[in-house]
Amino acid sequence: MARRHLVVAGSVLAVVVLYAVLVPLLAGVDDRVTDFAQARQAPSAEHLFGTDSAGRDLFVRIASGIRTSLLVALLCALLATVIGVVVGVAAGFWGGWPDRLVMRTTDAVNALPHLLLGIVIVAMFRGSLLAIVLSIALTHWTQVARIVRSEILSLRQRPFVDAAVLAGASRRQVAVRHLVPATAPQALIAVVLLLPHAVWHESTLSFLGFGLPPHEPSLGTLLEEARSSLLLGGWWTLVFPAAVLVVVTLAVAFAGQALRKVVTPPQPSELRL
Amino acid sequence: MTTVRDGRGKRPAAEPGTGPADGPARTSARPDAASRTAGDDAPSVRDLRRGRHRDVWGMVRRRLLFIVPVTGLVSAGLFAAAKYSPFDPLVGYLGTRYMTTTEADKAIISEQLGLDQPWYATYWGWLQDLFGGDLGRSRSFSQPVAQVIAERLPWTLLLAGAGLALAVVVALLLGITAGVRSGGLVDRAVTAVCVVVQGLPPFVLSLAAIAVFALTLGWLPAAGLSDGGSDPTAGGVLRHMLLPVVVLAISQVPWLLLAVRESVVTSKGEDFVAGAVSRGIPTGIVTRRHIVPTSLAPFVNIVGVRLPELVVGAVLVEEVFSWPGVAGAIVTSARDLDMALLAFLTIGTTVVVMVGSLLADVVVALMDPRVSTDG
Amino acid sequence: MNPSNPSNPSNPSSSLHPAGLRVENLTVRLPLANGSVVHAASEVSLAVPRGAVTALVGESGCGKSILASAVMDQLPAGARRSGTITVTTPQGPIDVFSGAPFRGRHAALVPQSAATHLTPVRTARAQLDETITSLGSTRTSDELAVRVGLVPAALDCYPHELSGGMAQRVAVAGALVGDPSVIVADEPTASLDRALTDRILALLRECADDGAAVLLITHDLASLVRTGVADHVAVMYASRLMETGPAVEVFDDPWHDYTRDLLGALPARGMHPLPGLPPQLTDLPDDCVYHLRRPETRQSGGPTVLVQVGERSYRTLRDAPREEVA
Repeated sequence: MARRHLVVAGSVLAVVVLYAVLVPLLAGVDDRVTDFAQARQAPSAEHLFGTDSAGRDLFVRIASGIRTSLLVALLCALLATVIGVVVGVAAGFWGGWPDRLVMRTTDAVNALPHLLLGIVIVAMFRGSLLAIVLSIALTHWTQVARIVRSEILSLRQRPFVDAAVLAGASRRQVAVRHLVPATAPQALIAVVLLLPHAVWHESTLSFLGFGLPPHEPSLGTLLEEARSSLLLGGWWTLVFPAAVLVVVTLAVAFAGQALRKVVTPPQPSELRL
Repeated sequence: MTTVRDGRGKRPAAEPGTGPADGPARTSARPDAASRTAGDDAPSVRDLRRGRHRDVWGMVRRRLLFIVPVTGLVSAGLFAAAKYSPFDPLVGYLGTRYMTTTEADKAIISEQLGLDQPWYATYWGWLQDLFGGDLGRSRSFSQPVAQVIAERLPWTLLLAGAGLALAVVVALLLGITAGVRSGGLVDRAVTAVCVVVQGLPPFVLSLAAIAVFALTLGWLPAAGLSDGGSDPTAGGVLRHMLLPVVVLAISQVPWLLLAVRESVVTSKGEDFVAGAVSRGIPTGIVTRRHIVPTSLAPFVNIVGVRLPELVVGAVLVEEVFSWPGVAGAIVTSARDLDMALLAFLTIGTTVVVMVGSLLADVVVALMDPRVSTDG
Repeated sequence: MNPSNPSNPSNPSSSLHPAGLRVENLTVRLPLANGSVVHAASEVSLAVPRGAVTALVGESGCGKSILASAVMDQLPAGARRSGTITVTTPQGPIDVFSGAPFRGRHAALVPQSAATHLTPVRTARAQLDETITSLGSTRTSDELAVRVGLVPAALDCYPHELSGGMAQRVAVAGALVGDPSVIVADEPTASLDRALTDRILALLRECADDGAAVLLITHDLASLVRTGVADHVAVMYASRLMETGPAVEVFDDPWHDYTRDLLGALPARGMHPLPGLPPQLTDLPDDCVYHLRRPETRQSGGPTVLVQVGERSYRTLRDAPREEVA
């Protein structure tokens, strides 16, 4: 059942990615060229998704939007995972007060509204990719850290750790060479599971006006632009980007969940006889 | 953090949870062990209750001690970040005169405003003002911060209160039905809808609602509190409130509902339900007086954990619908980098969320006598 | 704790006394998610007479507890069953699988972990009162508390605040609300120490003396032998009955090798433990598997039947010559 979900979600994602990659190459229409004579055209044979308020073709612009949204989301997820793995390994391996400190920090970060922190960070450092990536990564590493930490805690008890120490490895070597690679599968899944959150956050921040500059639009930026042109009656500027955003978010989320179900062994249930 | 169930409820929502980051549903644990069982000799029930209340107070004290340093760190971090931000605060202060002011004049103004101080000096000054009752002046609203808050807070409370109430009612009704008849048609349909809605950012829902109901159908107003800037009337406010409240509620229902459902499904499979059935209790009573009361405590726990999501929802709904509340003001003050207002709002929200979560934990501890108060 | 003796008028042979509970040819199969099937019970037939305590003994995991669930018609979802279970009431016999209401009124369960079978967020008294109201009983919770030996104030505790022995007594009180003709006790003393075990068993004995048919499911053979609380006993192995009969006779002179092994494992009788482990009930073969545990037995290793001799019965190979067992 989970495999089927994975296949479906994965195919949808593949279609979206193909769209994002191929359309700009094949269409021959540059989405950066503004042509105010063509502004706000409804969908037609020439412009499949219509044009926006500056005359840019939406079909191609959305493709760029998908690219940007997914790439930024991937960056955020990777950075969050890296932070989470480092913190989780440190906490799980050293134990004691570093561990407690980490757990308290995790609780604190989780107690605060993530979007709020994100808004504040991007407001201060507006327009830079780094700010966006940081604002999302710095609030989402906690899930990864938690999972990695419990993984490390259980691995620490295994005999191979003692064997390595007896063989003369320093603690740092044991951590880096043995424990970190062991967390790789979980970390990979964490990246995939973080993607929908990252897409969500990035599109929201862009929508609020804190996103990337308009020549590198993400789907959120497109929706922000749509908002202003909505009153002038351009439903296609809203519907198409929104629909694509929804499809991308759901596909990524389903793919991640299905992947996790496929990879995690099922738990046996108990019968009392 | 109050701990509720052993090994269960790790993620509050049924997968896939595509909302913003799930909080750590505070789990684990074991019913409050050793010291609280009544021995075979006549147990003093009164002593047990009093001991419990003492435990709860202890938890409150410990948690407040945790809130203070976190708030301090967040506020300090805010001021530090502002200092290193590439934006020149003079831009906001001078406005259109920025381009025409000479460098020498800018330096004088900077010194007068104390803009060249190190960030901790600015922070300390702000703290002193705060405790002295002076909240500063909001640049983006051209009003004292206190006035901004006083004028806008009631509208946020109205919106958030109505939205949360509506969401909780819907979540409880549908969630309990879905949970009790888990695997059935209602359950599968409701869960699927929740999963889809949960993945959508609230602003998409808001935009869609505006596009359909306000612009296309013209049934409801698209923004603001009243038509064309006139004074708000009770009827007008209700009309303007309908769409934002419903959208806010819809954005919160998914995680609430899935939390209720998960809680009910877990309770349903537990021994005490089989026990009640074997004693001959009718099904309706088993649901109402056994399953639901036991499921409520984990539900309230999750509400406390995911309170930040309600805040985020309110911020986005207020922003899109131009609702004059404090949540929307956060976005405005962030855009204008209005530090006075932004600092107060950010820290205020942080404190409110953490206190709200503490309240939820207290309610849980009082509702479920097994829950440990270690948090 | 009165040792039952043949002249005790409350210990007649089961054929003379009306059966409060009758299990006929019960077979329960539980399909698992991975396709295998758990054989929880296979052609189990048991008569539990009124006014007596019938003990169902066996090692853990032999399928005894599933019988308790079956009697209360609370088998796990997806279970496949055949056979009938009948509860005799003053108004006539009731088939428990027919859907007619009988739980609490005519048959009641004393569960294994009593505290977890009570709703954690309500006091014991609240739940006891609720049972009283639902069944339309005229008793009061205080009265029931005293009957089972509890201080009435203890009922105001929440389930997790009750000690093991107290929780078990609350469970018995809950079972007694409707004055049922059948009481099934599923491992009621599993987590209790000796003194509490004796107390609970004595309580069940009183219930039987008051006229109920008590089915006591337990793996604690030592306590049964020590207290002599059981009038009849049935021995179960891997979903099948191996031997039944009056307790005194079976304990003195077991006819089935497995019963002999179980008794031999008791500390009081030399503590000779059985070899190996009890078998898993998953995908059991169609015939008795005792010979896999004790290869030298001549009562297993092919098609077997329960042979009835007077009040006793024992399982042996269908095609073997009837042995001298006396």
